[in-house]
Amino acid sequence: MTSAIVGRLSQALLVLLALSVIGFTGIHSVGNPVYNVVNIETATAEDIRNATIALGLDQPLWWQYCRFMSNVLAGNFGTSYIYHLPAFALVMSKVPATLELATTAMLIAAPCGTLLGLLAGRRQGGWIDRAVLKASVFALSIPSFWLSMVLILLGAVAMGWFPSSGRGPTVLLMGQEWSFTTLDGLRHLALPALTLAIPNVALIARLARAGTAEVENQDFVRFCRAKGLSSRRILFRHTLPNISIPIVTMIGMQFGGMLAFAVVVETIFAWPGIGKLLIDSIQLLDRPVVMATLTFVSVAFIGLNALVDLFYAVLDPRVRLS
Amino acid sequence: MTHDSALAPLLAVRNLTLKHRGESGAATILQDVSLDLHRGEVLGLIGESGAGKSTLGNAILGLLPAEFDRMGGTILFDGEALDAADSRSWGRIRGRRISAIFQDHTASLDPLMAVGPQLEETIRATNDGISRQDARIRAIDLLIRVGIPDAGERYHSYPHQFSGGQRQRVVIAIALAGSPDIIIADEPTSALDATVQKQILNLLRELVDETRVSIVLVTHDMGVVSDITDRVVVMRHGRVVEHGVTSSLLDAPREPYTRSLLAAVPRLRLSDPETRQEAGENPKSPQPQARHELAGTPPILLASGIKKTFHRRSLAWFPKGHGKPALQDVTVALEHGGITGIVGESGSGKSTMGRIIAGLETAGDGTLEIDGTAFDIARSGARNGLLGKVQMIFQDPAVSLNPRMSVGATLQESVRFGTVRPGSERPDVATMMDRLGLARSLLARYPHQLSGGQKQRICIARALLASPRIIVADEPTSALDVSVQAEIVALLRENVTERGIAMLFISHDLALVQQLCSAIYIFKDGKIEDKGPADFIFAHSRNPYTRTLIDARPRRFTH
Repeated sequence: MTSAIVGRLSQALLVLLALSVIGFTGIHSVGNPVYNVVNIETATAEDIRNATIALGLDQPLWWQYCRFMSNVLAGNFGTSYIYHLPAFALVMSKVPATLELATTAMLIAAPCGTLLGLLAGRRQGGWIDRAVLKASVFALSIPSFWLSMVLILLGAVAMGWFPSSGRGPTVLLMGQEWSFTTLDGLRHLALPALTLAIPNVALIARLARAGTAEVENQDFVRFCRAKGLSSRRILFRHTLPNISIPIVTMIGMQFGGMLAFAVVVETIFAWPGIGKLLIDSIQLLDRPVVMATLTFVSVAFIGLNALVDLFYAVLDPRVRLS
Repeated sequence: MTHDSALAPLLAVRNLTLKHRGESGAATILQDVSLDLHRGEVLGLIGESGAGKSTLGNAILGLLPAEFDRMGGTILFDGEALDAADSRSWGRIRGRRISAIFQDHTASLDPLMAVGPQLEETIRATNDGISRQDARIRAIDLLIRVGIPDAGERYHSYPHQFSGGQRQRVVIAIALAGSPDIIIADEPTSALDATVQKQILNLLRELVDETRVSIVLVTHDMGVVSDITDRVVVMRHGRVVEHGVTSSLLDAPREPYTRSLLAAVPRLRLSDPETRQEAGENPKSPQPQARHELAGTPPILLASGIKKTFHRRSLAWFPKGHGKPALQDVTVALEHGGITGIVGESGSGKSTMGRIIAGLETAGDGTLEIDGTAFDIARSGARNGLLGKVQMIFQDPAVSLNPRMSVGATLQESVRFGTVRPGSERPDVATMMDRLGLARSLLARYPHQLSGGQKQRICIARALLASPRIIVADEPTSALDVSVQAEIVALLRENVTERGIAMLFISHDLALVQQLCSAIYIFKDGKIEDKGPADFIFAHSRNPYTRTLIDARPRRFTH
């Protein structure tokens, strides 16, 4: 067990190292950040040279990378070129907003998708099945900016139930600012979370449907019927656990994706999350923030993958007891 | 067991006709089927694949898929028509009055739920108002009754932690949970080893005598029928061919089909071979004197000191666990042109041995010499040149042919990559088809268009066309019906011996091995338990394990 953990950790470190190289050279090749730091209208050549030296950009790239890495190992991602704040602290300040958005979206998507998939897969070709299949094609193919705008139009403009953008009032909890504890905060969460949830409902429903159709044809489900169990008990106590491994894998991947890449939704709803920070920082060539964000996202993905693996062991005695 | 036939039967199927709506139109699966089942009786339902026996079992359980249409007839259970039952009435029938045991004990249990709770939920579903504690006590009692040792401690063990026989015992306990009147047992012992099969059949018989439950035993195995049934119904192509009391039907079958079914069952002979020679049966090859001449020559294949350990695969990224040895220091020799048998129960390492010889598996230790050439068996991919020397015939022909390649293309490939020995012609596919009794028109077909027997013939043709020196046949007939099995065995014997190929025949069936093989190895737990000439082993071996295997066979089919 110990060797397993050591193996996993060393692999994770290797992934992080590779990612830092790719991210570092990638952002370097996009352009010179110095023009975003100085005021391009008024700056003299002298100013630009001084800024370049101050940021360490006059050094060769490999040297810049080594300095960056040694700082990172000391726990310092550097200072944002634009905001003049410690980069990592800046990223961490955005984490609660992103986390509560992604979590709310997944709390909507996972149960709805699984339930729809179970009901559809149980009677293939039935009306629930056909409705779920058709709706899921729509939900997966409409672009998220369009979906956001339709939801704003319906939920905010026409009905006036929810605010159309921004994050609600926050409350300090465990050293971070959270908005889900207030009613107004929840109302602000509703529309962006729903926008993120809808394609995931479709994805999970399709996956659950395929799993259900397969499991319901297996002998043990037939045996459960023969031994006199109600079909509801069979569905929830036997079919559901048996289809959940691919679903949990998908939830883990999609959740990680929402942490980092919910850019469109965060932009439209002016949600101050990590995706928006990442895109802004890339545009401004704010290398420390980009690197800090990428590192956070990779660590989150690695953590989620480990959680999914742990879930396999919890769920499946054949994994746990071998 | 006697029963008063004046009493109304517990279950009566009357003129049942069922059609199946398939893509290629409707097919009649059951035609005018009638049978009676009395209380405390074991009724055997025997037939080959496609006879409709499992469909009949499912119809009684009300578990037929929607594509089946009832064209006529009724099923009367305790005087009431089951066809009228809606899903709510089925809820009061299934588990409580009619329950089931399926063939595959592994697939019958939910792999993610411990066995105790699976039994407990059945007890709670089939006994109104029973408390959780009482259900658990009853569950443990049932597990003890069906012979699970340490039932209390193993209550929270999962299905994969039990052996196959124990899993089937758990399934039987679940079937008994609602104290049913009838159990539909669909091939309950077909997936088990012979010794375990015997124990499970004994358990079922005990339960019938003890609780007066009735069993409909669906099977293809005459041995099972002769062991525990009171009456038999023989089915073929959806019709009842013949029915009657088991002993009289087996002793004096009236219908030719029943007679041919019985004749196709391989019989184990325990007497000395001399008596058989007098009886004028075909001698096995190589003939005794020929074998004597060969005794001086070295064997064509010598695998010595083979050791193999499988490492269990666990989660990706996790290190390999310690495996249990599959083969421990095993030595096997094949004589030129002879058929050698390996017999053993599941997990004995017999298939692993075959795969190592065929180069499909590596071994940790040992040497392999074929025709005087040594092969490296520790590394995969280091076996060049084996193709023309060793060919393999697998158990399940349905999955051992490429479904996207026509039969002709499959066979041509074998010719192309096989070896042509100097002085002999390249084998011809069409001639081979004729030789194996296959129509040449089949060459254009794809595997799914063929019957199981045809597919296995194609697999034999594929092996023979590569002109090998050795053929490894791993249970080549156990996925086939008995009548087809007899044909395939005859074909193998003729074609292999006339070409001077040495064959390693791996099987769990003693009688089959005795019919075919001149020498036999008996494997147990990765070791050779017993070995010797086939005739000697069965008539005279004093090895206790060999005797156990022989005793596990139905008496009717030994002589």
